[in-house]
Amino acid sequence: MIQVQHLTKQYAGRMAVDDVTFEVEPGQIVGFLGPNGAGKSTTMRILSGYMPPTSGRARVNGHDVFHESLAVRRSVGYMPETAPLYTEMRVKEYLRFRAELKGLAGQAMRRRVGEVMDLCSVTDARRRLIGNLSKGYRQRVALADALLHEPPLLILDEPSNGLDPVQIRQVRELLRGLRPKHTILLSTHILPEVESLCDRVVMIHHGRLLADDTPENLARRLRTLTEVHAELRGSGEMTAALEALPGVRKASAEEAGDGWQRLVLRVEPRQDVREAVMALASERGWQVRELHRRLPGLEEVFVELASAESPGVF
Amino acid sequence: MRIFWVLLKKELRAFFVSPMAYIVLALVMVLNGFCLRAALSVLERGPSEGSIVTWTFHAMWFWLSYFFIFPLLTMRLFAEEKKMGTLETLFTAPVRTWQVVWSKYAASVLLYCLLWTPSALNFALVDWITAGQVEMPAGALKGSYLILFVMGLFNLAIGCFASSLTSNQIIAAVVSFTMSLLHFLGGLFISVIGRQVSESFVDIIHYIASTEHIRIFTNGLIDTRPLVYYTSFALLFLALTHQVVESRRWKP
Ligand SMILES: Nc1ncnc2c1ncn2[C@@H]1O[C@H](COP(=O)(O)OP(=O)(O)OP(=O)(O)O)[C@@H](O)[C@H]1O
Ligand SMILES: [Mg+2]
Repeated sequence: MIQVQHLTKQYAGRMAVDDVTFEVEPGQIVGFLGPNGAGKSTTMRILSGYMPPTSGRARVNGHDVFHESLAVRRSVGYMPETAPLYTEMRVKEYLRFRAELKGLAGQAMRRRVGEVMDLCSVTDARRRLIGNLSKGYRQRVALADALLHEPPLLILDEPSNGLDPVQIRQVRELLRGLRPKHTILLSTHILPEVESLCDRVVMIHHGRLLADDTPENLARRLRTLTEVHAELRGSGEMTAALEALPGVRKASAEEAGDGWQRLVLRVEPRQDVREAVMALASERGWQVRELHRRLPGLEEVFVELASAESPGVF
Repeated sequence: MRIFWVLLKKELRAFFVSPMAYIVLALVMVLNGFCLRAALSVLERGPSEGSIVTWTFHAMWFWLSYFFIFPLLTMRLFAEEKKMGTLETLFTAPVRTWQVVWSKYAASVLLYCLLWTPSALNFALVDWITAGQVEMPAGALKGSYLILFVMGLFNLAIGCFASSLTSNQIIAAVVSFTMSLLHFLGGLFISVIGRQVSESFVDIIHYIASTEHIRIFTNGLIDTRPLVYYTSFALLFLALTHQVVESRRWKP
């Protein structure tokens, strides 16, 4: 669905996207991640046919983004980051205008506008001026616009930005429901969303590609320490004994009341010390009321990758 | 072509939901009234060589108001969309650049034409009240509105161009006003000075001096030179606008 090869974009000599190569298969939901200023929006603008790359090639649905810009725009539903809309229009009127621009007409157009308004829950605001809508509503109107012509590819730049938690969940369900028919490339800073929604993650930083894999694989390859959390009660020096266990780098304890201690163990990557902790506790006669391992999530991956001075960690 | 109509409809709507259309319309109607009043007072003084049509479009009031029309009609066309970021939404829909440029321009031209209908009604009213006693040659009327139309095409294209250069409507208005006025003053200067300096200037005068054009056309004469001049420069400015709007697609 998307083929990006050595894509580069400069703004007045400043590199925004630097030699990025990746592919997106049809039917996938791909999370596009990176810190602020990484070049996500720039890449998405190029892919939606808004502006050409400085060098390199990008093909969307088999069409070149520069030479066949119109065909690309027909197959892409794009939602810009700031959701710019005509503030002097009413919601339904705006969506009808956009639907007509995208080639819908007559009865089919009216029906489709009704459908997307329902999908994005803006039907109750259909007669309101866009200029008077709250940020979340505008965001949803922009999403409705992107869905209008049922494009095979959706490019959504921070679609859940500014939505309340209920709406974030609704949008997530909406996108999940689109999966078999539509391919989705979305950028976001809400990492749990990516973990639960995306089949793949493409991560860039300073315009360069850092990672391109499934969320689970990324977490597995992470170098950061995993953590084991335990709540124990008993006598004796706990932290020293726990730190003596193989694989444990560091243990820290804090009072949890009633003689209970809450312990956090920092553990070498890809090691599981829970059984050893359990054995130690029964040997010393400690009571255990909690013991669990916290696997590193995308958030840790993100922080580690983004803070790495030189890319190429993976 | 369908896309063009959809865009044109949207542009026209945008004019009429903003107060701008009504402000300009009111302004032009008032000033047209002053122009007509001035023309009538010339005619009251006794027989003159021009008709009421000539004197209406020669009134000082006319030029005073004329150059304010264009910035007001065109300043928001591109500048507002740039400011709001809606150009990005617009150009990620399957629309071509020319469709956008021409629909915006066409909307401003239509509104401009609408602005002059009250003045035509004024003439009709004078004709009706005086029971046809004021001479109102049809040729002069036709000529006047023809030259007003092509001068409008020219100045509106300048306004479009100015609006495409910036995301600030005020700057767009100032640039368009300045360009239109400079063109007018240049023509005036040449028509006043040129004749005295050398005969070879006379030709140029016929091309670029707006005051001359008004004088000739309001007397019912139709000269093709200014028609060609104004429309070709209008096309040039539209082509420039097209280039500016496309410039995001240039490779740096
Ligand atoms: N129109 C522009 N002119 C000049 N530089 C730009 C322009 N747009 C973006 N940039 C620069 O390009 C780089 C990438 O910007 P981009 O908007 O793609 O980042 P992003 O990954 O979307 O960030 P965010 O998470 O904040 O949305 C930034 O350094 C930015 O300053
Ligand atoms: Mg961005």
